[in-house]
Amino acid sequence: MSINEKVKVIPCSGMGKVFGLMAREAALRTVGQLCPDKAETMCLAYVVTGDAEAEAGIDGKPCITIDGCPKMCSAKSVAIIGGDIKEEFKVLDIMKEHKGAQPGTATELTTDGWTIVDKIAATLHERVQQIHGEGR
Amino acid sequence: MAEELKIGVVSCSGEDCLGGTISRLATRKMLDEVRPDKTVTICLPLFLAGGQEERMFAKTFPTIAVDGCNKACAKRATEKYSGKVNGTILVSDIIGDTVSESAALSTRDVTAEHQTMVDKVAAEITKQFDAILNANSKNQAGSTATSCGCSCSGGCG
Ligand code: SF4
Repeated sequence: MSINEKVKVIPCSGMGKVFGLMAREAALRTVGQLCPDKAETMCLAYVVTGDAEAEAGIDGKPCITIDGCPKMCSAKSVAIIGGDIKEEFKVLDIMKEHKGAQPGTATELTTDGWTIVDKIAATLHERVQQIHGEGR
Repeated sequence: MAEELKIGVVSCSGEDCLGGTISRLATRKMLDEVRPDKTVTICLPLFLAGGQEERMFAKTFPTIAVDGCNKACAKRATEKYSGKVNGTILVSDIIGDTVSESAALSTRDVTAEHQTMVDKVAAEITKQFDAILNANSKNQAGSTATSCGCSCSGGCG
């Protein structure tokens, strides 16, 4: 990757599940606040359309996917379109470290939910920095 | 007794712009508040990442696609992998292109102004939703009437 190339952080769309919303919120925090100069996102729905422009934006590009459930929509869709997946995060796995936490619903997160989102975002941030470092 | 009709509302994922966020929140509002017993949804990427069952969605349920911007990913992806949609909502037509194209929003930062946008979009979805429900119940009534063997379109009996 070139020094200026941003890492694509792509969450699943997660309309139906709280873990999907957490994936999205963690990605938004990472690309919007933690490292906007090194990371960006792309609409997964756009990736799914398979448009030439979407493909050009992903094909061979460094990507981190973040999925809410075992169906792994983001990782699978990004792989199909040729993204260079550096890391696949699963919110479900991360939740195992937070037994008993009540993160909220697919519409709204609780304080527990936001705390975990911020932790996930910090991990994403760290990984983006590493990937960027590797590209130099 | 006929099975109760449910309607699919499928939102684009919309990570890239405010229109996408509003699209998601309006879809959630349909599921949570407006028509909770009659609305079903699916994560749009499952059309690609899932299997045959997921691809039957738009054939099983009359479906409204809700899109944040004119790339219309929900409509296009649904029609590519699942089936023709019965209704479409373009959030940018309702809240304006410029607002719609501004940065995606965390649900942490939703303001009363954003909530008004969500309500407007949900109202548009509801209009299409109820039109589909009404058309469907008329069809059901129509098919019952046809079975009477006359050409009354359900007006007799
Ligand atoms: S319709 Fe626009 S906002 Fe929605 S997923 Fe596609 S590109 Fe993103």
